[in-house]
Amino acid sequence: MELKEIKILLEKYETGESSLAEEKMLRKYFRNHQVPEELKAYQGIFAFSEVEKEKKSTVNGTLPEPVKSYKHLWTGIAASIILLVGIFLFQDDSSEMQDSELGTIQNEEEALQKSMEALKMVSKLMNESKQDLIYLKEFNKTKDKFLKTE
Amino acid sequence: MKQQVFLEKINPVKDKMYRLAVRLLVSKEAAEDATQEVILKLWQRKKKIKDYTNIESFAMTATKNYCFDELKSKKNNNLRIVHQNYENKTVSVHRDLELKDELSWIEKIVNDLPEQQRLVFQLRDVEQMDFEEIGEITKMKNTAMRVALSRARKKIRESLTKKHDYGIKGN
Repeated sequence: MELKEIKILLEKYETGESSLAEEKMLRKYFRNHQVPEELKAYQGIFAFSEVEKEKKSTVNGTLPEPVKSYKHLWTGIAASIILLVGIFLFQDDSSEMQDSELGTIQNEEEALQKSMEALKMVSKLMNESKQDLIYLKEFNKTKDKFLKTE
Repeated sequence: MKQQVFLEKINPVKDKMYRLAVRLLVSKEAAEDATQEVILKLWQRKKKIKDYTNIESFAMTATKNYCFDELKSKKNNNLRIVHQNYENKTVSVHRDLELKDELSWIEKIVNDLPEQQRLVFQLRDVEQMDFEEIGEITKMKNTAMRVALSRARKKIRESLTKKHDYGIKGN
C-alpha cells in the first residue's frame, strides 16, 4: 500500500471517521513496515492498542454459592421462629388452669359434702364395675381345665 | 440460569471488562476488584440477563457504570485510587526496549485523558468494537463518540510527537 493512501487513512483515523476495516489495514501496515519519522507516533499508538488487547485479568470466575443458600437459611430461621412462637402461644392457652375453672364453692362445709358426694359416686361406680369382673373367674376355670399346674 | 452456563457466558467477556476497568481506574488491583464485583452483580441479577441477548455489551455497560461510580466516590472523598503498576508489562513480541519504553509512555498519556475519551478510545482502538456497540455501552450519541475518539487520538499523537521532538532537541 502506498504511503500516500496511508496518510489519507490516518487523517480519517484522527477525525474518528475511519471504519474498523480501515483501522485494521492501518494496524497491519504499521506492524509490518518501517515508517518515516513523522508517522512514528501512530506506530506507537497501534502497537499500544494491540498490546493492551492482550492483557488478561487474573479474576477467576468462581462465584460464591451463598447467594442462594443464605436466602434459604433466612427462610429456615424465620420458619422455626414462627413455629416456636406458635407452639408456645397455644400451649399457654391449654396447659395453664384459669381461676374460673377451679371450684366455685366458698363454704367449707358445703365443699366437704360435695367432695364426699363426688368420691362416693366414684367408689360406687368402681364397685359396680368390679361386679363385671366375676366373669374372669369363669375364664380361669376354663383355663385350668387345659393347663394343669402342680 | 445455572452457574456453569453463566460462567461460560461471562468468561470470554471477563478480560475485556478487566481491561476497561484498568483503563478507567488505572490501578490493577482496583480493576480486579471491579471486575469481580460486576460479575457478582450480574450473577445476582441473572434473571434479567436472560432477556438481554447480548451479554457482552450488558456486562461492559455494567463495568463502565461501576468504574464511573467508583471514580466519583473517590473524587468526592478527595482520594485517588493508588496504583503501583508502573512496571512495564513486557511483551516479548516487541523486540526493542525503545518500543517498550514508548508503550509505557503512551499508557501514561492515555491515562491522563478525560474519562469519556479514555472510555471510547479503549473500546474502539483496543477492543475494536463498532460504533453501534460502543454507543450501546457508553450511551453516547454517534457524533459525540467520534468527537471524543478524535480528540483522544489527536491528543496521544501530539503528545508523542512532542516527546520525540524534545528528545531530538535534547541530543
